[in-house]
Amino acid sequence: MSTLIEKHIVSLLAEKDDKAISLLYDNYGDTLFGVAYKVVRDEDLAQDVLQESFIKIWKKADSYDPSKAKLFTWLFRITRNTAIDKLRSVNNKSDKEVQIDVSDVYNLGVNGIRPEFMDVQDNLEKIESKYQIVLEALFFQGMTQQEASEELDIPLGTVKSRLKIGLRELGKIYGTTMTILLLIILLP
Amino acid sequence: MKEKVKIFLDSDILEKYLLGDTSKEENLKAERYITMYPEVRETYNELQDNLEAFAKTYARKTPEGLKEIILHSARKEQVASKKFFRYAIAASVAIMIFAGSSYFFWNQSKSLQEENTLVTNQMKSLEENMKNQLEDVRNQFIVLNNPGTKRYNVKGKMEAKELKAVAYINPVKKLSYINVSNVPNLPENKCFQMWAEVNGELVNLGVIKQFDDKNKLLALPYAENAIGYITIEPEGGNTSPTVQNIVANITY
Repeated sequence: MSTLIEKHIVSLLAEKDDKAISLLYDNYGDTLFGVAYKVVRDEDLAQDVLQESFIKIWKKADSYDPSKAKLFTWLFRITRNTAIDKLRSVNNKSDKEVQIDVSDVYNLGVNGIRPEFMDVQDNLEKIESKYQIVLEALFFQGMTQQEASEELDIPLGTVKSRLKIGLRELGKIYGTTMTILLLIILLP
Repeated sequence: MKEKVKIFLDSDILEKYLLGDTSKEENLKAERYITMYPEVRETYNELQDNLEAFAKTYARKTPEGLKEIILHSARKEQVASKKFFRYAIAASVAIMIFAGSSYFFWNQSKSLQEENTLVTNQMKSLEENMKNQLEDVRNQFIVLNNPGTKRYNVKGKMEAKELKAVAYINPVKKLSYINVSNVPNLPENKCFQMWAEVNGELVNLGVIKQFDDKNKLLALPYAENAIGYITIEPEGGNTSPTVQNIVANITY
């Protein structure tokens, strides 16, 4: 994400200009939808979550402080928490129904991953699954490290170290992908 | 200092802060460390980049038409909040006017009430005064006009030879009055005091201060075979009469 667009969006948000929402949607919509989907694991619910999240983003626009977090971090926090809350309220209503509807195989098959991120996705698979499981538990399932440790039956210390290493590995992969992409663009 | 930073980075506060899972205290701590230590800031920025990269790997095509729905509800939200804001201003102004006028009326009612109490009290004390005076005047009239009234001339002795008084006693109506018509000058630290012996007890009738009004009658407590005394006492009066200073006695 170019910092220029980010700055532009931030200034539009501060002015409560609704062009900000359109730009946010174009630039982050798919990623945030993916986050919502990963948490609630249901297409319709994920749509609701995305809509609610955007309304919250719009309402809280004047509380965003660029010195405290990058725009994406702020958007991610709102979307993730909205999705986790949604999942909890739905689970409270009908525990079984959601679980029957959910199928990871189905999800991966139909809509898949956007092609521009395929490289990253491929590389992500290179991260050992033990790191990925921890990252997903913490990022998408809203587990605390303690809960992840109990759920995955891994000692708390291991959860902490896998989170750190996993994130570091991701950084490396993302870094190389960006380098490769840049090389492709720059060398015709 | 390095140790502190290391401990902080080894804890999971920064990761929790990244996801927005921190408690209030942890939040403050994370923000303080990020501002104070470049290593922490760098790690935090790295985490943010990694998070974005990680999240992007899960990107999913948003359904057709969702953008329009979201834009529409955001605009509605904006209109609603503007409306709410306008109503809030109007309500605030109304409340302020109401509060102001309530205070004004409350204040006015309070001062009127105070005034009312003052006037009532004044009227009561005036009424009391008038009643007492009327009673006194009526008694004086009875005493002076009643044929049963006896008149006693009182003359002073010792250094108060010039003292002249007239006592009026009416045993039928059980009223007695005295009119002190002349008193000699006394040194400044002395005064005349009147007493009455009623049923064997001495009653202080007070210091005779002014004799400007020579026609004024002073009421005496009535009793059978009572004795009235006038004594010379130190300035301000005494608690019991000084027997050797009795300058007049009135037997009635």
